[in-house]
Amino acid sequence: MAIPFERVRLAFSQILEALEKNRQYLNDLDAPIGDSDHGESVTNAFRKVKEAIDKLPPEERDIGKLLQEAGKSIIFSGGAAMGPLYGTAFMDAGKVVSGKTELTREDLVALWEAFAGGIARRGQAKVGEKTMYDTIYPMVEALKKSLAEGKDLSIMIEEAIEAARRGMESTKDMLSLRGRSSRLGERSIGHIDPGAASSFIVVRSFMETLLEKGGGVRE
Amino acid sequence: MKKFINRPENVVEEMLEGFVIANAGKLRRLPTERVLVRKDAPVKGKVGIVTGGGSGHKPAFIGYIGKGLVDAVAVGDIFAAPPVQRVYEAIKAVDGGKGVLLCLGNYSGDVMNFGMAQELAQAEGIPVESVIVNDDVASSPKDRMDNRRGVAGEVILWKVVGALAEEGADLAKMKEVGTRAVFNTRSLGVAHTPCIMPSSGKPSFEIGDNEMEIGVGHHGEPGIKRMSMMSADEVTELITLQVIEDLPFQSGDEVTVLINGLGSTSLLEMYICFRKVAQILADHSIKIYRTYIGEFFTSMEMGGFSVTLTKMDDELKRLMDAPCDGVHFIQH
Repeated sequence: MAIPFERVRLAFSQILEALEKNRQYLNDLDAPIGDSDHGESVTNAFRKVKEAIDKLPPEERDIGKLLQEAGKSIIFSGGAAMGPLYGTAFMDAGKVVSGKTELTREDLVALWEAFAGGIARRGQAKVGEKTMYDTIYPMVEALKKSLAEGKDLSIMIEEAIEAARRGMESTKDMLSLRGRSSRLGERSIGHIDPGAASSFIVVRSFMETLLEKGGGVRE
Repeated sequence: MKKFINRPENVVEEMLEGFVIANAGKLRRLPTERVLVRKDAPVKGKVGIVTGGGSGHKPAFIGYIGKGLVDAVAVGDIFAAPPVQRVYEAIKAVDGGKGVLLCLGNYSGDVMNFGMAQELAQAEGIPVESVIVNDDVASSPKDRMDNRRGVAGEVILWKVVGALAEEGADLAKMKEVGTRAVFNTRSLGVAHTPCIMPSSGKPSFEIGDNEMEIGVGHHGEPGIKRMSMMSADEVTELITLQVIEDLPFQSGDEVTVLINGLGSTSLLEMYICFRKVAQILADHSIKIYRTYIGEFFTSMEMGGFSVTLTKMDDELKRLMDAPCDGVHFIQH
């Protein structure tokens, strides 16, 4: 079972819808350790993505191109800290599936591995530093494991979402070592990282849409 | 929330509209991007200076556009770094053939967006350098200065490199002197009242009626220590001594003093606090070279102030003394 272009394209609409629903939740997460605007920034960025994708020619079927257009629009127009991070991640993800009109299980793993690599490269992030990387990295590990074990796509995706959720939740007890919240030292502990939370919403909406389950469920 | 605004999502756009009309003699807006540039940009034979960051810091950043200060500002949303495209267009708009210096505060969003714009412009053959401001002593210990954020010290950088550019200095010289000015500059602030975020209507941080917090950031980032309110003399002493110890500023040094109101602290209070700063500096045999008191870099209506000291040398003195004609910063 392969994932067609249209599903991936739809995933970006679902991401935007989910972010719009969770805008205030993300702002609230950002309040104690940031400046309560993460929901605004990330929603605005994915609105730009939607606009860019809507401008693609109707005959476009290259998933790599789709992801790269998404990435480029976030880099150019996203702003804040998350612009370069999400933007680089989608650009890198697009590169590894360039020319593909549908995604196999292998492609899906490669895509997210490159996505994680983009975040690490741009933000110099490592696991355990209380960032979006803490959501994405465990998800990639889960995907790789599922692939090696030959699991069905639907199980693979469900487990990946679960791993991402646990990853996001794990940021609560972490000491922030990156970005603005790192300046709080010990006081960053006890709060879920807003970037990790928005990443979870992004990957969950994306992955659920691939499974034709809709996505965009409220947190 | 008690604010005179129309729709929260329009605050930056509507502010810019008013600002551009009011200051049409000094600046213009680029047609395609949210970038304001000096009216006569690009100035031929002068290094262009681009700064920017999130909105909500009036008069920073756009109030510093003008002769002897900065040439362009990439304007972000409230407290959010401007995107790459905006910084890139700003760079292109002010390159007068001698390259462009980027001045920015040390925030990951600004550093990444300005950094990527710098790479894009360099790839097109425009020489671009950057100076990153990290004057806030509260935001990290001295052995991790790279992690400190930039606050009111950015004003000193704009003044110094702005004057240098008018003298015809090249890009390398501007980076060198700008970097030194930043290193010589240390700030520490205190706040007792948060600002209210227009988007959410909520305060940027929670604090008790009788409390103040030392080292609160320009975006309401929590500081280092929360305490009961103190008198002007007590809190000024607490702050100023930490700033002095940090460089450290020593007996015989000459300094520029910048007392910066964060938005709703009155000039009356600022002068009372400055009086104490002056006494402490005198006790340490540190001589005041120049003094600036007022709102230079606010956090909307946050209540509080910061103390910035810059250690002067002959070159920095000349540059601080030079005239400038910014929208909100004029010096004869």
